[in-house]
Amino acid sequence: MAADPNKPDLLELDSDSPEALLEHFEAKGWGDGLPLVAPTRERVEAMLKAGSGGGPADEVIATLPPRAGEATRHALAVNAVLAGCSPGVLPVLVSAVRGLARPEMNLRGVNATTHPVAPLLIVHGAAVDASGFNSGLGAFGPGNRANASVGRALRFVLMHIAGARPGDGDASTQGQPSKYSYCIAENASASPWETYPRSQGIDAPSAVTLHCGENPHNFHDMESETPGPILDKAASVMATLGSNNAPVSSAEFFVVLGPEHAAPIASAGWSRRDVQTYLYERARLPVSTVRDAFEVVQFRPWIEALADDDWMPITDHPDNIKLLVAGGAGKHSCVIPSWGMTKSVTLPVEP
Amino acid sequence: MTELYSPEGRVGREAVRLVAAPEVMAGARIGVLDNGKPGAGLLMETLAHELARRTGATYAGMFQKGSAATPCEPDLLAKISKSSDLVLTGSAD
Repeated sequence: MAADPNKPDLLELDSDSPEALLEHFEAKGWGDGLPLVAPTRERVEAMLKAGSGGGPADEVIATLPPRAGEATRHALAVNAVLAGCSPGVLPVLVSAVRGLARPEMNLRGVNATTHPVAPLLIVHGAAVDASGFNSGLGAFGPGNRANASVGRALRFVLMHIAGARPGDGDASTQGQPSKYSYCIAENASASPWETYPRSQGIDAPSAVTLHCGENPHNFHDMESETPGPILDKAASVMATLGSNNAPVSSAEFFVVLGPEHAAPIASAGWSRRDVQTYLYERARLPVSTVRDAFEVVQFRPWIEALADDDWMPITDHPDNIKLLVAGGAGKHSCVIPSWGMTKSVTLPVEP
Repeated sequence: MTELYSPEGRVGREAVRLVAAPEVMAGARIGVLDNGKPGAGLLMETLAHELARRTGATYAGMFQKGSAATPCEPDLLAKISKSSDLVLTGSAD
């Protein structure tokens, strides 16, 4: 096998077997260790034809650190094919990459840190049904092609284009399972509140949200029929010393409520803002506990000024607590703390 | 034989490169950029002093980044580059 110098993007393999592809990619340091779909010219062209929306294949959507890799539609399509995506999902991936490149995401830090952070991709609106994303039972996986493959493709973009490979551009001490694939859809039909993008001022047929966070931290409540006890469990999960958010007061949390938790909360008349404010008030730790635990903190001045025997909010504003609904039957929800020095983004899906 | 695309894509611009290390350390100024990680400043300042002692260089001082998680502030970078010929940085957890 040898690369053709006249076609630098094209590789030649002697065999078209899945084993040969996996072996070749593994030798190059590409892929995630799992079987891959060969990014042949035909498959990549089909991906672009179905999902480029007429945009040029060589247009640079974003330049991604640390490698300064150019994420063109073509390069994204190659990674989408590799991950097993169906052709129609390319605009979701393209939009997600636009989001990752926003300065507030701090992608260089996200890729470089020893923390196990991974970008969670949340799909909203018409794209959910159009491309078959799972917003319901088992939304975090496994078992759905769109969730699994688009999340995987986004990880491939980080590994291959951005250069965030473990031990090289990705220094995560232990990694985490969500670095394989981390994609869900908002369950808008089961949500008692306006869609998440609208709550962020985005009014588009489809949208994506990117949140660079830890794995989901589950909380369950089988007993309560009122908001307080359910949300106290969420607050308990949030107010932990183990998360990167504890020493970073501007950090965000995503609280993903299952429909059976969202319903009683909304039935009691609570708005999304009420939930955010309640969690802001309840997710607290003694100031002395946090000060004793961390040598280096990133606190707002007003938190710095609190006395040791005060209780400090785990995040410094209710807006940092992001609320949406996903999942199906059952009384489980989760909290997803961020890496700390990153802000989530929501943007329209555009090809 | 099967043809397939590389997943890497092009590199958009030349990666930032380190300047060449001074060939002769005697007389060079050694700075420390503390990224704020626990113990980083102490470790690198100790190394800088020892390096200066062994080579005849001078210790130019320690500078503090706003956060280990974000890039060095441009003003600070300019200040360091004016005062130092060699900078120790990048200590992790």
